[in-house]
Amino acid sequence: MATRTKNRTNSQTAEQRYRDHLTKADHYELYRRMWLSRLFDETLLDFKKKARLKRGNLYASIGQEAINAGTSLPLKPHDYISPIHRDMPIFHFKGMSLESIMCQVWGKAEAPTRGKDSWSHMGDLSAGVIHSTSMLGSTIPVACGVAWALRLDGKTDSCVVAYTGEGATAQGVFHEGMNFAAVHKLPLVLIVENNQYAYSTPTHLGYATENTAARASGYGIPGWSIDGNDVLEVYEHTSLALARARAGDGPSIVECMTYRVRGHADHDDTRAMGYRPVEEIERWQKEDPIPRYREYLIKNKIFKASELPSPPPDVQKQVLDAAEYAINAPEPEAHTAMEDIYDESAGVTKWSK
Amino acid sequence: MVEMTFLQGIRQAIWEEMQRDSSVFVLGEDIGRLGGAFLVTDGFLNEFGSDRVIDTPISEALIVGTAVGAAAMGKRPVAEMQFMDFISCGFDQVVNVAATFRYRSGGTVSMPIVIRGPSGGYVGGSLYHSQQFESWFFHVPGLKVVQPAFAEDAYGLMKASIRDNNPVLFYEHKWLYRRIKGQIPGPDQDFIVRLGEAAIRRPGDHITIVAYGAMVHFSLEAAEVLAGEGISCEVIDLRTVKPLDMETVLGSLAKTNKALIVYESPKTGGVGAEIAAQIAEAGFDLLDGPVMRVAARDSFVPFAEPLEKYVLPSVEEIIEAARTLHRY
Repeated sequence: MATRTKNRTNSQTAEQRYRDHLTKADHYELYRRMWLSRLFDETLLDFKKKARLKRGNLYASIGQEAINAGTSLPLKPHDYISPIHRDMPIFHFKGMSLESIMCQVWGKAEAPTRGKDSWSHMGDLSAGVIHSTSMLGSTIPVACGVAWALRLDGKTDSCVVAYTGEGATAQGVFHEGMNFAAVHKLPLVLIVENNQYAYSTPTHLGYATENTAARASGYGIPGWSIDGNDVLEVYEHTSLALARARAGDGPSIVECMTYRVRGHADHDDTRAMGYRPVEEIERWQKEDPIPRYREYLIKNKIFKASELPSPPPDVQKQVLDAAEYAINAPEPEAHTAMEDIYDESAGVTKWSK
Repeated sequence: MVEMTFLQGIRQAIWEEMQRDSSVFVLGEDIGRLGGAFLVTDGFLNEFGSDRVIDTPISEALIVGTAVGAAAMGKRPVAEMQFMDFISCGFDQVVNVAATFRYRSGGTVSMPIVIRGPSGGYVGGSLYHSQQFESWFFHVPGLKVVQPAFAEDAYGLMKASIRDNNPVLFYEHKWLYRRIKGQIPGPDQDFIVRLGEAAIRRPGDHITIVAYGAMVHFSLEAAEVLAGEGISCEVIDLRTVKPLDMETVLGSLAKTNKALIVYESPKTGGVGAEIAAQIAEAGFDLLDGPVMRVAARDSFVPFAEPLEKYVLPSVEEIIEAARTLHRY
């Protein structure tokens, strides 16, 4: 599998080790997760087209599946993630059920937000998913706060993996969070999903550094810019960053160079073709992470071609069943719009000294 | 009972809560080594250590955001804004992240955060060390807004704010910090002042004056002068601005039939405007005169003394407004 990694550190041996530790089952899991991501997006886009899904936007991660799979596999149950809008499959890989995620998409009563917010603006702390918002970059200080709480509780083996696009690294609040995490060596891993466009704005209008991993030097932390369409590359660097964080060495940036095949959201799919050179799209489509990995697995005799269906039918069924479940789930009752604005409980009344 | 200043009351409350509950911690700029710009957290670093007393970089969004993340994990952070003016730098974290958290968690996550700091004018602090703009947050669902006027309340409300499961913005008027003293109960009393409950500071029959923060003291001073002229004012100290205790306001109005609202922020769109509207909606039949307001002019708080005096409300203006209202 060809890699075009820049800013390589001397982590070569460590990386090799992470890759070698993958079992056959792990390899299949990476493959399955990539397909689940792809089918999640394609199914929803199809439902939207057929008007079986009528509200909300779909921020597909088509083309970025290696990040969804490769960053989520190394996570431990007691780790936390701080995801963003293009990470919907990762919510599931971290432990939220597909049904509840689909209910969120359809705004149903049993969704994590009870229909109060759409798409990725949800979380589930019991699964280790920190609730995200629309203000990209604003999630980084919150991730720092979660990491600080873990420190107060002496949970030194838990990490927080925060995701961001390359666009949000331009936010002032991103800097505030990363700086603080670096100063205090918080167990934070920052995954930058550099998909070349912040909505329609290309990277050369977003930053003047070679890449966003270069921002790491401004915080005195390591940053790697890697081939984000190579799932093993992503897996290894995430593992490496997590190991650093768990060892108390503080945060690092893993920038995954990838490409947003579709529009920013489903509403600009067509227009997205207009602000991007055709040859660029074609070039990146050749880098599709799923066939690339499949070829690798066959070439290295890890699997036979017949063992790697594209897509795996059970995954297809899983996604469709979850979507159907959500469609049939009850709508929230109107009056619940006024619930949960405040915690109406008495707060702390009894104190144990 | 120990006599303490307004500032010491706040310090004492945070100190006691931190001693009582290890989930309470403080963070902000210069609050550890220095003990805070006004010394509210003086001595905290030595007592509680650097994990619970965090000297942060100059990053208000980080301060509030870190508080949010920690609160989601069950902690009770008390975040200092070195001056409440600077909260604008963390505004997004307050209104879009902290305020909404419970709502978008489907009621599963609480946000027991206190964001506190010095606010208000009358000290020559000029544009960026004199503002309150509490109406920014008054307008946002999910938040609570507190502004005490007395040392006992500063102590009791701070305790209640730390124990409340919602984000509380706690405005400490710097003009009151060392000027106002009170009798603070010992920690064994577990004295708290519940949020959302106003207090009648001076009973009266002719006019209800509704105020909060430093304006309570201005109003009491005015009421004293007015009493000499035969105008009896009932002075209500809101203590908590959000939620508003309209029950106490309307109850007083049933007796006096006249309302004068005093607040220190710019008049247009301020908290007093909402109080006036609620009086008009719920208490129209009680009124024998217009609902009147004394507030700052719609300007910033300027530096030079004559300018600051011109912009901010004064005791004289309260007296003048009360006289006008009394003539109805």
